[in-house]
Amino acid sequence: MKKLKLTILSVCTALLFTASAGLSDSLEIGDKAPLVNQRVEDTSGRTLTLSEVAGRNGLMVIFSCNTCPWVTKWENRYNELSALAGSNGIGVIALNPNERIRNRGESMVDMKKRAQKQSYNFPYALDEDHKLADAFGATRTPEVFLFDSNLRLVYHGAIDDNADNASQVESAYAKDAINALIAGSEIDTQETRSLGCTIKRSE
Amino acid sequence: MKAILLVASLMVTFFSVQGDEILVDATAEEILEKIAIHQGEKPVLANFWATWCAPCIEEFPHLMELREKYEGQFELIFVSGDFREAREEAKEFLREQGVDFETYFKVGKDNEFITTISDEWTGALPFTIVYNKAGDVSAAWEGKAEYETFESQLLKVISED
Repeated sequence: MKKLKLTILSVCTALLFTASAGLSDSLEIGDKAPLVNQRVEDTSGRTLTLSEVAGRNGLMVIFSCNTCPWVTKWENRYNELSALAGSNGIGVIALNPNERIRNRGESMVDMKKRAQKQSYNFPYALDEDHKLADAFGATRTPEVFLFDSNLRLVYHGAIDDNADNASQVESAYAKDAINALIAGSEIDTQETRSLGCTIKRSE
Repeated sequence: MKAILLVASLMVTFFSVQGDEILVDATAEEILEKIAIHQGEKPVLANFWATWCAPCIEEFPHLMELREKYEGQFELIFVSGDFREAREEAKEFLREQGVDFETYFKVGKDNEFITTISDEWTGALPFTIVYNKAGDVSAAWEGKAEYETFESQLLKVISED
């Protein structure tokens, strides 16, 4: 009996780690944007798809939420990035994938309040059952995915290298990537990592 | 009177040093060195956490419990990824949890820090990495784990020759 329990525990553990490994299988540079026709509802009540949001020069997707302190630190840079992207034909959307805690600060009502308070100048949509986050292999908030005009991934990672202080940023990763994409030049830093909150996937 | 002042001053120094010793600033390289010290001696479990991270706070007591249960059989290394302004809060949390050993406070840029620590880590917290006695990575995962998961992963490396 003890042996059986141990076997079950081992299998469960193996399954858990397989699942975890799967979630960290993120899109790679050059990959096409997935689920571009998946409909999502944003805080203004519109239903959108990534195909519709994308501009002639590309698409920027930010996985974000209402409850993560790292989002709070970085979101004062969202609008500037969105304005830069938008004025250069790159569509922008933020997606909230935190399904497990929808009733603890991540509901559509909470999202509406957040978008209004922060005067978001881009759609902020609910990623129901984290379908898009799963397809992207997103792991945390905030996390940026930038695609070119063919909707191929050209930058993935952090907004910049200083969440604490926008005026002390040394490497503005996302902004630099957008500028390079617009200019048609090589993006120097295509992938970066930053601390962030795990996406609260439903169990 | 002088003697009393001297004793008081020594006590203040002693306690402030004690307080600091539970949370020491460390770069990724310094943390890897702390892990490497135990190579060939015992397994290491490193856990990256922050006070603002609810899953980190939930799993923290499991690790403290396991440290006591398997005392001396593995090394537990906590690394706080808190914001600089929350350093005191992190220290306070450690005290509340009964931490009386050295733990670390992340310094340095995120990207370099994360990539230096592990290829398996995208930056999401909590992050746990388990090294066997030989210093090889036995398991690594992002997100909260239950007591049983931590224990089974630890037993795997503790039982290795």
